[in-house]
Amino acid sequence: MMLDVDYRRRALTARRLQTFFAVLVLLVMFFPLYWMFMTSLKTADEVVSLTPTFVPSRIQLENYATAWRQVRFLRVIFNTLLVTFGHIFFHMTTGILAAYGFSRGRFKGRDALFIIVLSAMMIPEQVTFIPVYVMIAHLNLIDTYTGLIFTGLVSPFTIFMLRQNFMAIDQSYLDAAKVDGLGIIGTIFHVLVPMSKASMVTVMLISFINGWNSYFWPKIIGKTDRTLLMSVALAKMKNMFEGLASTEFYNVIMAGVAISIVPVVLLFALNQRYMMEGYSRNAMK
Amino acid sequence: MQGRKALRQLLSLAPSSKYDMEKSVALKKKFSKDRLCEFLCVVPALAAILLLYHYPLTQLVRYSFTDWNMLKKTYRFVGWKNWKWLFTTLDTNGIVNSFNVTIIYTVCSVASVMVLGLFLSLLMSRKTRFFSFMRSVLFMPRYIAMSSIAIIFLWILDENMGVANYLLRLWGAKPVPWISSPNWAIFSLCMVNIWKNLGYNMMIYLSAMQGISKDYYEAAALDGAGVVVIFRKITLPLLSPTTAFLLVTQFIGSMKVFNIIDIMTSGGPGEATQVVTYKLYDMIFVQYRIDRASTVALVFFFLLMVVTILTMRWNGRKVNYDA
Repeated sequence: MMLDVDYRRRALTARRLQTFFAVLVLLVMFFPLYWMFMTSLKTADEVVSLTPTFVPSRIQLENYATAWRQVRFLRVIFNTLLVTFGHIFFHMTTGILAAYGFSRGRFKGRDALFIIVLSAMMIPEQVTFIPVYVMIAHLNLIDTYTGLIFTGLVSPFTIFMLRQNFMAIDQSYLDAAKVDGLGIIGTIFHVLVPMSKASMVTVMLISFINGWNSYFWPKIIGKTDRTLLMSVALAKMKNMFEGLASTEFYNVIMAGVAISIVPVVLLFALNQRYMMEGYSRNAMK
Repeated sequence: MQGRKALRQLLSLAPSSKYDMEKSVALKKKFSKDRLCEFLCVVPALAAILLLYHYPLTQLVRYSFTDWNMLKKTYRFVGWKNWKWLFTTLDTNGIVNSFNVTIIYTVCSVASVMVLGLFLSLLMSRKTRFFSFMRSVLFMPRYIAMSSIAIIFLWILDENMGVANYLLRLWGAKPVPWISSPNWAIFSLCMVNIWKNLGYNMMIYLSAMQGISKDYYEAAALDGAGVVVIFRKITLPLLSPTTAFLLVTQFIGSMKVFNIIDIMTSGGPGEATQVVTYKLYDMIFVQYRIDRASTVALVFFFLLMVVTILTMRWNGRKVNYDA
């Protein structure tokens, strides 16, 4: 009996220790986001004070309004959404069709052609950007929406994920669709797509987040404010304030960053299941 | 599959009458039409992939044999000149430095993320609501833009006003020149990268651990194995496919680092954080040397390929797959 009590007590201590350390790790990891949010509410005086306060003594919500005006967020958000939805549209149309062809197609050389898709996942954008940039420049697409969307015409990752899913769907459904007289397009959109809704949502979310967060291409292609996207706009704002040689604008900068993060956090909170699954099952990106 | 089978049957059965013959020809036509349609489905994606991935790669090879500097409209082929330049001026052209910096950054962040991620997955493995909430919070940075994260950390790590140095001073330690010192800068960047990817590694390891059959643990417990032994002899080996997958993806991801460098240090101080991608960016948009940049890009690509293939082969040979 004594032994049992002793064991139980030790198990309880272990559990408490685990909880303690888990919460500690969480606090450390969450701190940067907390700090961003707190700074975004502070007054300029409080931002530059030598003893930083962990909770703002006076909440200054105007920082958000200032950031909104400075960055002209309405325009930036419009640009970003336009380009991102362009990417999603092309990723999904090319992706769904290709996934169908690669999973159900009976043409010769199907698997050999699929190797082209797989190998594309191993060719980094940071290497091929030179010729692609030249291509875009030749087409006179620098500083245009078309140019920005052009870089996201296709996503090998999307094709890979959707193919994986289409292959798991039983052939009998497709045969039934054929008996009912559905063509290829009908089969895809009435059978395959509804049956793999979860992964559709997942790849769309991933495309959205990648588009919303993209920095490299928007920086190279977007030259003026007309095609400014979110990440580049934030970096520009930071540089502008840095040019004023002062850290006291960090409240406004942090407010801008907070605005840019909100949609992502919301999406994450609302679609946690999809996003975690999407990444943990086959996250090649 | 079904169709192929049907077709094969169709071909092997000799048509017995004219009617059958006509029917089979019609069916065959239908099949080939279906196949054509299916092939057409993959054409748009394939065309775009070839245009955006493979064709540029061949163009890179072409550019590396020219003298194109973007200010000129035309270019001449100059043979191996760029390659000679690359390997004869290694002392001065800063390419070796950029590769070194990239590799330091990669090894430092990948090693830490792998070890800490595994550790965290053990720590956070409890199946309660509260722990699942904590896991989501840890996972979230993965989705936040690297550029936003870079700006946040630029503020936290600010030498005079930053909260990191404030906490160090409270502790009684000397403030650290996080970004402004050439020795510290690259490790500060590593830290940011670790912060972003830690939760992701944790989640992947966690979901892999859930896939390990309970039987192994029960058998080991019956044999009287302790917690540490079980972890080393069962959990770790059975996680090796996951480890290999994470190693390859994180390695490549870290080698391609650009955003964080561009926002936090611009390659500085000096050339202390001038990673390869930043160097390429600099060569093209500051020096306008497409020819030389293409050469460096090819070497970089080659390096990535070699490491990927080596890891995959190691994966194929040494990794344990759950039977």
